Amino acid sequence: MSSAHSSHQGHGRHWWQGCTPGLRLARHTLALAALAVVLAPFADIAIHTRDPWAELGRMAMGMAWPAWGSLESPLTAIGLTVAVAIWGTLAGVVLGFPLALLFAHSRLVRAGCAFVRAIHELFWALLFLQVFGLSALTALAALAIPYAGIFAKVYAEILEQTPRAPRDALPPGTGRLMRFVYAELPLVWAQLLAYTRYRFECALRASVLLGFVGLPTLGFHLETAFREGRYHEAGALMWLFYLLIASLPWWSHRRLIPVLLIGGVWLLGPWPSVDGALVWRFVSEDIWPAALLAGDWAGLVEWLARIPDLGPAIGNTLMLGLLGSVGALLVAMVLWPLACRHFGNRGTRLAGHSLLIFLRSTPELMLAFLFLLLLGPSLLPAWLALALHNGALIAFLVARHADALTPGMPGLSASGRLAYELLPRLYPGMLALLYYRAEVILRETAILGMLGVATLGFYIEEGFDYLMFDVAFFLLLITALLNIAVDALSRRLRPREGAVMDDPCVR
Amino acid sequence: MESEQCHSRFGRPLVTFAGEDLGHGRDRQGRLDSVVLPGLTLTLQVGERVALLGQSGSGKSTLLVELRARLGRQAAWCPQHHGLVPTLAVYHNIFMGRLPEHSTLAGLWNLIRPLARPWREVGELCALLGLEGLERRPVGQLSGGQRQRVAIGRALYQGRDLFLGDEPVASVDPHQALRLLALIDERHTTSVVALHQRELALTHFDRVWGLRDGRLVINATASELTLADLDALYPDAEAPVSSLGEEALPAMPGPEALPCARGRP
Repeated sequence: MSSAHSSHQGHGRHWWQGCTPGLRLARHTLALAALAVVLAPFADIAIHTRDPWAELGRMAMGMAWPAWGSLESPLTAIGLTVAVAIWGTLAGVVLGFPLALLFAHSRLVRAGCAFVRAIHELFWALLFLQVFGLSALTALAALAIPYAGIFAKVYAEILEQTPRAPRDALPPGTGRLMRFVYAELPLVWAQLLAYTRYRFECALRASVLLGFVGLPTLGFHLETAFREGRYHEAGALMWLFYLLIASLPWWSHRRLIPVLLIGGVWLLGPWPSVDGALVWRFVSEDIWPAALLAGDWAGLVEWLARIPDLGPAIGNTLMLGLLGSVGALLVAMVLWPLACRHFGNRGTRLAGHSLLIFLRSTPELMLAFLFLLLLGPSLLPAWLALALHNGALIAFLVARHADALTPGMPGLSASGRLAYELLPRLYPGMLALLYYRAEVILRETAILGMLGVATLGFYIEEGFDYLMFDVAFFLLLITALLNIAVDALSRRLRPREGAVMDDPCVR
Repeated sequence: MESEQCHSRFGRPLVTFAGEDLGHGRDRQGRLDSVVLPGLTLTLQVGERVALLGQSGSGKSTLLVELRARLGRQAAWCPQHHGLVPTLAVYHNIFMGRLPEHSTLAGLWNLIRPLARPWREVGELCALLGLEGLERRPVGQLSGGQRQRVAIGRALYQGRDLFLGDEPVASVDPHQALRLLALIDERHTTSVVALHQRELALTHFDRVWGLRDGRLVINATASELTLADLDALYPDAEAPVSSLGEEALPAMPGPEALPCARGRP
C-alpha cells in the first residue's frame, strides 16, 4: 500500500521489517485485512435469492421510468422530512452547545454524551414511539437526543483547538463571557457552522429513515413502495430524495432557514397529548425486568438466560462492523482517485463525483434494503451497504484533500503520481478517518438488524414488536456499551503520525 | 531628540528584578518548569523608553510577558504575532483594548451595532495609523503591515501610560516603523519595545537592554552604545553589518546548500 515510503529499503529479504511510517501503516492495514479475511468464513454471507438479476432489472426499470403520477402527497412527505431534520438539528444544537462548554470539565457530561451518542436515531425513535406514539415529538426527540451528545463532543473538540493568542492579548480584567464572544467564538465560528451544516445533512437522511419505523416521512412511502414491488413509484421517490439532497445548497441558504423553521412547525403538528402517568410507568416499570424491580436475583438470572442468542448477536454485530470497516477502506482506496483532479479527464471526474454523491447521500439502511431485496437475508447486503456508503464518504474527503495538494514533481505518470506523490501523503489521514468512522459503522451495523440481519438491532426490534420492553432496553444498553468500547478501542489503534486529515465531518 | 526632555522624569523604579529567575510554567511549589532568564537583575524606571534587543530565543518574550504580569493594568500590551481575531472587523479588534471597561450587555450589543463613542475614537485612531476606511473590514483580509498597525492600534486604544511591545514594528517598512514608534512615544511616558532593527534602538530609545542566551549582557543608555557593541548580541552574524537594508535581507544560500542538486556533479 505505502511501498513508496519504503522503496529504499525494499532490497532485503524481509521487506516488511522496519519502522518507517509507511511500513508501519502497511503492516497495520494488512493485519486489519487479514483479520477480516480469517473471520469472513464464519459470517453468513450467502446469496439466498434465486434470481437476483431479474429483481435488479425491475428496480432499474423503476428508476429509469419513475411513475410521478402515482405519488400521493409527495410534497407533504418532503416537507415533513425537512421539518423534522431542521427542528431536530436545532434542538440538538440548543441542548448540545451548553454541554460542549461543560464537556472538558465534567466526566458525568462526557459519559452521558457517549451514552446517548452510542444509540442510533432509529432506536431512540423506537423507544419514544412507545410513549409518544407516531408523532412529531417522537421524531424530534429521536434526532435531538443523540445529536445533542454528538454536538457536545464535536463542538467541545473544535472549541478546544481555538488559538490562544487573541485571548492572551486581551487586557486584564476582561469578563469570561466577553472573552468567549470576542476572542474565542469568532475564531471557530466557521468550523462550528460547517459541522452543524454537515449534521443537518445527516439529520435529513435520518429523517428519511424514520419512515422505516412508521413516521410518515419520505422513507415511509419508499419502504412501502419497495416492499410491495411498486418499483416505478419507488423510483420516483428515490429521484425526489436525490433532488432534495442535491438542491440542498440552494434551499438551505442562511436567509431561508427562518422560513423553513416556521413552515416546519405548521407541518409537524398536530402535537400529541402526553400522558404523564403512562410515561412514568414506561420509564419506571416497563423497561426494567420485573425480577430486578422485585429484587429477585434468581429470577433475574433466569430472565437473562431466556434472552435469545445474545452471544451470536453480539458476534454478528462486531463481525459486521469489522467487515464493514475493511470494506469501506477498500472502496475508498478504489474510488477516491476517480473524483480527484490529478487523474482522468473532465468526464471521468464528473462520473466519479456523481457516483460518490450517489453513494454517500443514500442512507445505509436504504442501500442495505435494496441489496436485501436482491441478495436475500444474510450479512452480505448489510456488508455491501456499509462498505459502499462509508467508503464513498471517506473517498470524498480524501479526494478533496488530494485536490488541495500540488505534486512536487511534475510530469509523473498517473501511477507514479498515485504511488509516490499522493498516497504517501494521504494514506495516514485516510486510515485515521476510517478509525473515526468505525464507531459510526458499528452504530449502523446495529440498525441494519431492523432489516432482518441477525445483529443486536434485530433482537431489539423484535423486543419492541413483542412488547418485551425490558429485553429491548437491555439489548439497547448492551449496544451502547459495545459502541463505547469500540470507540475507545479505535481511538487507541488510530494512527496518529502524519494524520493531517482530521475532519470532524466523519463523526 | 525628545529623549532629553524625559530625563527629568527618570528615577522612580516601576519594576525591579533582583537576581530573579524568569521562565515558563510553575509547578505546585511555585518552581519554574523551565528557566529562560536565570538570575536577572534589572530595573525599569518611570519615563524611560527601552529597546530590547537579542536573537530569537534569547528571552525577549519571556521578559516582556513577566513585565506585563507585574505591571498588570498599568501597561498596554502589543503581543508578538499580533494575537488578533481574523474574523472580526478592524473596529472590533481595536475595541477589544477597552473591553473590560464596558458592561457585558454593551459588549454584546457592540458586536451587532458599534457603540457611538468607541466608533468615533477608533475611527480617529485608524486615521492616525493609516487604516482609515478599513474599520469594517475583517482583519483576516488585511495585509501583514496593516495587521501590525491594527495590533498597535489596539494597544494605543487601551490608553495606558506604559507600552509593552513584542516586535510591534517587525513587519512594516522602515519609514512606517519610525512613524509608529513616534506615535507610541507620543501616547506613553514609558515603553519597552522588542526590536530587531539595531539602528532604531540607538536613535529612538533612551536605553538598550541586550539579551544573549538568557543573560542581560547590555544595559546602558543608548548614547553610550555603538552598532558594534550591539553586534555582540548576534553571534551568528559573522560579517559585521553596516547598513539597515543589509541586515533586513536574509543571506542568500549558495547553490550547494540548496536541497535540489540539479546541475551539481
